[in-house]
Amino acid sequence: MIKIVKRDQPSRAIFFLTPVLAIFLTLVAGGLIFYILGFKPFEALKFFFIVPIADKYGFSELLLKATPLCLIAIGLSFCFKSNNWNIGAEGQLTFGAIVSGGVALLFYEQQGFYILPIVILAGAIGGMLYASIPAILKTYFNTNEILVSLMLVYVSKLILDYLVVGPWSNPEGFNFPETRQFSDSARLPLLFEGLRIHAGIFLALAAVVISWFVFYKTYLGFQMKVSGFSLKTAKYAGYKGKKMIILVFLISGACAGLAGVGEITGPIGQLHREVSPDYGFTAIIVAFLGRLHPVGIIFASLVVAITYLGAETAQIFMQIPKYTGQVFQGMILFFLLASDYLLFFKFKFIGSKK
Amino acid sequence: MNTNLKISNVTKIYPGCVANDNVSLEFNSGKIYALLGENGAGKSTLVKILSGVIIPDEGKIYLNENNLKLNSPLDAKKNDIGMVFQHFNLFETLSVYENLIIDSNEQREVLREKINTIMRKYNFSIDLNIPVLNLSAGQKQKVEIIRCLIRSPKVLIMDEPTSVLTEQETSELFLSLKKFSEEGILIIYITHKLKEVMELCDEVAVMRRGKLVSVSEIKNENIESLANKMVGQNLKTIKKKKEKSSSDQLINITNLNFISEDPFETNLSNINFSVNRGECLGIAGISGNGQSELFQVLSGEIISDKNSIEFNKNYIGDLNPQERREYLMAFSPEDRLEQAAIPQMAIFENVALNNFKSSNFFNNGLINENKIKEHSKKIISDFNVNTNNIELKSQFLSGGNLQKLIIGRELITSPDLLICFNPTWGLDVGAINYIHETLIKINEQNKSIILISTDTDELLKLSDKISVIHKGKLSKIMDAEEVTSEKLGMLMGGGN
Repeated sequence: MIKIVKRDQPSRAIFFLTPVLAIFLTLVAGGLIFYILGFKPFEALKFFFIVPIADKYGFSELLLKATPLCLIAIGLSFCFKSNNWNIGAEGQLTFGAIVSGGVALLFYEQQGFYILPIVILAGAIGGMLYASIPAILKTYFNTNEILVSLMLVYVSKLILDYLVVGPWSNPEGFNFPETRQFSDSARLPLLFEGLRIHAGIFLALAAVVISWFVFYKTYLGFQMKVSGFSLKTAKYAGYKGKKMIILVFLISGACAGLAGVGEITGPIGQLHREVSPDYGFTAIIVAFLGRLHPVGIIFASLVVAITYLGAETAQIFMQIPKYTGQVFQGMILFFLLASDYLLFFKFKFIGSKK
Repeated sequence: MNTNLKISNVTKIYPGCVANDNVSLEFNSGKIYALLGENGAGKSTLVKILSGVIIPDEGKIYLNENNLKLNSPLDAKKNDIGMVFQHFNLFETLSVYENLIIDSNEQREVLREKINTIMRKYNFSIDLNIPVLNLSAGQKQKVEIIRCLIRSPKVLIMDEPTSVLTEQETSELFLSLKKFSEEGILIIYITHKLKEVMELCDEVAVMRRGKLVSVSEIKNENIESLANKMVGQNLKTIKKKKEKSSSDQLINITNLNFISEDPFETNLSNINFSVNRGECLGIAGISGNGQSELFQVLSGEIISDKNSIEFNKNYIGDLNPQERREYLMAFSPEDRLEQAAIPQMAIFENVALNNFKSSNFFNNGLINENKIKEHSKKIISDFNVNTNNIELKSQFLSGGNLQKLIIGRELITSPDLLICFNPTWGLDVGAINYIHETLIKINEQNKSIILISTDTDELLKLSDKISVIHKGKLSKIMDAEEVTSEKLGMLMGGGN
C-alpha cells in the first residue's frame, strides 16, 4: 500500500529535480499527443526538440530566442521572490520597445557610437515607466497588481499598433505597418556573419550575474527578500517595504524593456506590429521552471526556447500548427506545478494493514 | 416546548495546550447563559464544538436527551443549533436577501414570507435589496441573526457579539436576545465583558485555562466576584523579588495619541507614562483594546509626534524601528511567525533582522554573512535555543525555541529597554519559565522592560508597576505590590 506523508522539511534535492521531472513528463505526454494525432512519437519529438538545434544556425536561433526569455525571467524573479505578481512583462517589453524604437527613429539618419547606449537606456526606462504603474497603484491604492499589469499589456500593444500604422509608419513603406529601418548605429551588432545571434545576449548574461549578486550578496537584496515574505516584518525591522515593492517592479520592467530593445534593434532593425511572440508571458514559465534562481533561469530559458523553434520545424515538416509550441509550454508549467507536490509530500510504501 | 442542552465531559487537546479539560455543563431554555473567560480560556473552543466546527477528542453533546453527532457546521444547523460568530460570514457584494436565502433550499416565496415575519416581529428594519457592504456592523449582525432564525433554532449561540457594536446597537441587541429567550430559544452568550453579563444574563459559567471554574446564578454574583473567578487568585506566591528600583527615568511618554484609519484598529488617546531604569512596567488588558497599536507606536512601526516619546533624554517619536534601535531599544512583537521572524528564512537570516550600525552585519551595502553567523551562534548558545544548525529554516524551530531566538536576538545587543508583547503566548511551561527568568535577569542588570500582555499571572509575576489598557486608554499606573487580581479584572472589563 502506498501512503502519502507530509515531509518534515522540503527536500533541497527535490527542489531542483522537479523541473527535470516536469520536462520528462512533458516529453512523455507530448509523445502521447503526437501518437494520438497519428504521428510516430519518437520521430515527432525528434523534429520538435533535436532537429531545430542540430546545426550552427539552429543553435544561434536557440540563443536568439532564449535571450529575451532569460532577461525577462531574471527581472520577474525579483518580483516573484518578493511576492509581487507582475504578469505584465509582455506590456513592459512592448512599451520598452516603443520608447527605444522612438529614440532610434530620432537618429535614423545619423551615425555615432553614442546612439546605441541611448537607445538601450531608453528601452530600460520605458519598461520601468510601464512597470511603475501597477507598482504605484498597488502600494498607494491597494489595487491588485496581477490585473493591472495584465491589462496594461493590451494597452501597450494597441499603442504600438497605432504608432506603426499611423504617425511612425515608414513614409516610403507602401503602408506596411512598420517604421523606417533604424540606422546601423542604433542596432545591436550581430556576433557572427550569417547568423542572427546578436549582442543582446550579453545584456542577458549581465542581468544574470547582477541579479545573483544583488539578491544574494547585498543588503538591498536582503531587504527585498524580507519585504516579499512579510511586509509586517519589514516594517518591524525598519525597512521601507513600499519602496521595495516599487523597486522590484522597476527592476523587472527594466529587464523586460531591455528584452524589447533586443527584439527591435537586433536582426529586425525596425518597429513593427509584433515585436514579441508572447515572450513576456512565456518568461513567467521560464522563471518558475528555473526556480527563480539565476542559473536555473539560464537552463530553463534554453529549454523553453526550443519549444518556439520546435513548433516551427514541426509546422514545416509535419504540417502541425505552430501553436503546438504553446501546448508544450503549458504542459511544462502544468507538470511543474503538479510535481511541486513532491516538495511537501512523499510517497511511503508500507506493508498491508493488519 | 422546553429545550435542554447538555455538554458532558468534553475534552479537546491541542499540541501543548488543553483547550477544554473535561467540561460538563447543562443549559435549559428560558434563560440566558453567559460563558465568561479571558482570552485563551477555552470558551471559543467550546462553542465551536457546539456548532460543529471543531470535533472534540472526548465527550458528548445531548440536545433534549438525544446524543448529537456534530461533525460539521451543517450537522449543528440540522439539529437546530444556530451560531453568530464574532466575525461575520456574509457575502459583502450580495444583497441582504441573497445572503439570507443562500444556504436554504426552501421555496423562495415561503422564505420571503418567513423573513418578513421575523423582521416585523422583532422590529428589524433592514432594506433587503441593498448589498451587505452598505450595512453597519449592527445591521450585518442582524442579518446573521435572521439567517439563524429562519431555521427556527432551539439554541442560539452568540460569540462576543458586542465587540463591533456601538452602545446603541448593543442595547438593541440585548432587547432582541431577551425576546428570543422569552419565546423559548436557549441563548448562550460568550463574552469577557463583565458588565454585559450582569445586565443581560441569568446564569454564568466561568472558564479559565480550559477548565470550568464555576457555574452560578447572576443574582448571587457581582462584578468583583466574577472578575476574581475569571482571572484567578492564587498568584502572589510566584512574584519576583522586589527591590527598590532607581528613580532614574529612562523613557517618558507624554500625551501620545494615535488615530487609525482602519476601523478594526483601536485609537490610542492621551497615553502618559514613564519607566525608570531597572523597572518593568506591565500593561494588562483584554486583547483588542489597543495593545497592538501601543506596541507599534512604541516600536516605531507607527510614527508619532517627535516630542511624545522621550528616551534617554532624546526625543524619538518620529523615528522608525531601525533608528530607535540605535538608541538601544529592542522589540519583541506578539506575532512570532508573521512579524518577529520569517519562517521561510534561515535562523541566521532572521538574526540579521535586528540590525544596527555597530553590529556590522551589512558593510557598504553588502551582507557580511560571517559576522551574522558568528553572532547567531552566540545567541543560540547564550539563550539555549535547541539546535546547532544556524542554516535551519526557522519554521522548524518549536514556538519556545523560536521565541528564545527572538528574545536572544533582541537582548544580545544589551539594549536599555525591551518592549515585548505577549512574549509567552502559546508556549509550553518550560519555555515560559525560561522567558520569565530571562526577563527578571534583565531588570536585575538595571535594564528596563515594557511588558504588554494579556496574561495577568505573567504581569503580576514580572512587573514592578502595572497599568491597564481599555479601549485605547491607560488606567493610572499602580504599584504591582498593591494590585489585586480583582482590581485588574475590573479595570480590564472597563470598571473603575
